[in-house]
Amino acid sequence: MSTHDVKHRLRQLRGLPERVRALEAEVQENRQLNRRIAELTDIVTELLIPLEARDRDKVAEILERYKQGL
Amino acid sequence: MTAVVSDDGLLLPAGSRPLLVEIDGHYVWSLTPVRDGRPQSGGVLVPWPGVLRPYLAGRGRVRITDTTGAEVLYDDEVGLGDGEGRLAVVDKAGNRLSVDKVGHLARSFADTGEAIQEEIMAGTRRAIDDLRDHGGVDAYLNYGALLGAIREGGMLKHDSDTDLCYLSPHTSPADIITESYRISRAMRDRGWRLLRMSGGDIKLLLPLSDGRVCHIDVFVAFHIGDTFFQLGNRSGTLPREAIVPFSTIELHGHEFPAPRDPDAMLSFLYGPEWRTPDPSFRYADPPAGVRRLDGWLRGFRAEMGSWTEFFNGARVSAVPRKVSSFGRWAESQFGDLPVVDVGAGTGRDALWFSRRGHAVQALDFSRGGLNLIRRRNRRSSLSVSVDQIILGELRSTLMHGTRLARDPHHLYARHLVGCLDEPALDQFWLLARMALRPGGGRLFLEFSAVADGVTAGSGAPVEPYGLVRRVDPATIREAITRSGGVVEHLTVGPGEDMFDLPDPAVCRIRAHWPHPKEKR
Repeated sequence: MSTHDVKHRLRQLRGLPERVRALEAEVQENRQLNRRIAELTDIVTELLIPLEARDRDKVAEILERYKQGL
Repeated sequence: MTAVVSDDGLLLPAGSRPLLVEIDGHYVWSLTPVRDGRPQSGGVLVPWPGVLRPYLAGRGRVRITDTTGAEVLYDDEVGLGDGEGRLAVVDKAGNRLSVDKVGHLARSFADTGEAIQEEIMAGTRRAIDDLRDHGGVDAYLNYGALLGAIREGGMLKHDSDTDLCYLSPHTSPADIITESYRISRAMRDRGWRLLRMSGGDIKLLLPLSDGRVCHIDVFVAFHIGDTFFQLGNRSGTLPREAIVPFSTIELHGHEFPAPRDPDAMLSFLYGPEWRTPDPSFRYADPPAGVRRLDGWLRGFRAEMGSWTEFFNGARVSAVPRKVSSFGRWAESQFGDLPVVDVGAGTGRDALWFSRRGHAVQALDFSRGGLNLIRRRNRRSSLSVSVDQIILGELRSTLMHGTRLARDPHHLYARHLVGCLDEPALDQFWLLARMALRPGGGRLFLEFSAVADGVTAGSGAPVEPYGLVRRVDPATIREAITRSGGVVEHLTVGPGEDMFDLPDPAVCRIRAHWPHPKEKR
């Protein structure tokens, strides 16, 4: 291995902790999508499908019931 | 005697044994000196827990012993703080309180009468039955109640509630959270009041006949890969077969489902030494597991506890009751439209708007704040409608957005944006867009701003310390524009903080969201 290669490898190694920190942060961002998916699923199944009724009184009743159930 | 008791805390010999603290014969706290204290000349100083401090003004007999009570390190009358009366760690109804294993003040089982103990057992049994018959999950007794039942044949003396867990069949966090939403809806339908603590645990509030409310925690447990997770924050190795099919244990005359192998569960929770009592036990959860649970299930109620403490504590009385100068400025532009005060806090502005004849809704995420507004609302015979919004929760934001989109109104938010983290702030713009686009109302915003050479930078804390942060007006303008809004007015200049104390840079914004058909 040439001196140049060794220096390059050392530079890469020195940068590893920062790369790990960045990766950890990105992984955490992805984990947070789970709650968003669950919330959207809940909204679609509990609220949007019943709201298809499009009846104003019915909509008010469905919204109130959803709010009480949160 | 080998200890010193002062306003600073307890100066104790360095040691790793757990110790118990009583005031006038009532247990209040347990601690382990080397873990909870810091070295100081003469030993280790363990500061009084923050939750006890408001009660430490007066005289009382403080007794510090080992967990058996046989060895006494301190037993003497002391005077603490500047109070004259007897020290008493009690709730408003006079019930004795102690610091529980997660650092909250709670009423310990030892200070609970037999009839009330029976109510707690029956309520726990009813919760298990409702979870099974209506929530569709089989729950088992766990944590302190399981430990007490197995080791001592009854509830632990210093425990304060009962904990239930259920083993989810799901292996994706999104499915686990959706299941938890379904369970909470089913339990509400059964008449339970509850609080959501994360995407995987809820607190059932069981009212007791002595006026107290017992908390029954319902935690999810699940496997992802080879790792077993159980809320609170536990993670590690425990096979499914150690939990199901359940065994049965008896606790105070009631039969409860328990993990199939209680020994394996208790070792998982408390380590192999679980048979030796340690009331000051603290969990040592693997950081990687906590990080994963935080990422999957949490984030929407960070700081909620601190705001509750603020609204229930003495500091809140420093917030003036009269309307803020921003409230006056905004109100002069309201016209006839109703107003929604988002992050209404103590309700000082919302109540004044109501007095001025506006239809007003006050929204906040802190139940402490909402209760304060309800009380003031009642006392002043006003009709501000009060409701919870959790901007960190998409469901809550979308639900309010959908509701508000139906009628025109203004949104008003003073010192809110500086309290929100990035995801909650994003959802605030979503709320504004949903709520204002159809009706033509305005958004009125005021917040502690960043001003070059005048203030600290973005994120710098302002009062109440740490809960509100300075925000750069340019980022707010950009976010409003990005979400389809139009900033009509923006000024930065001297103003007031939440306590009406001078703030060198406060930003005022008025914005609207044009209807999709409107030309911008």
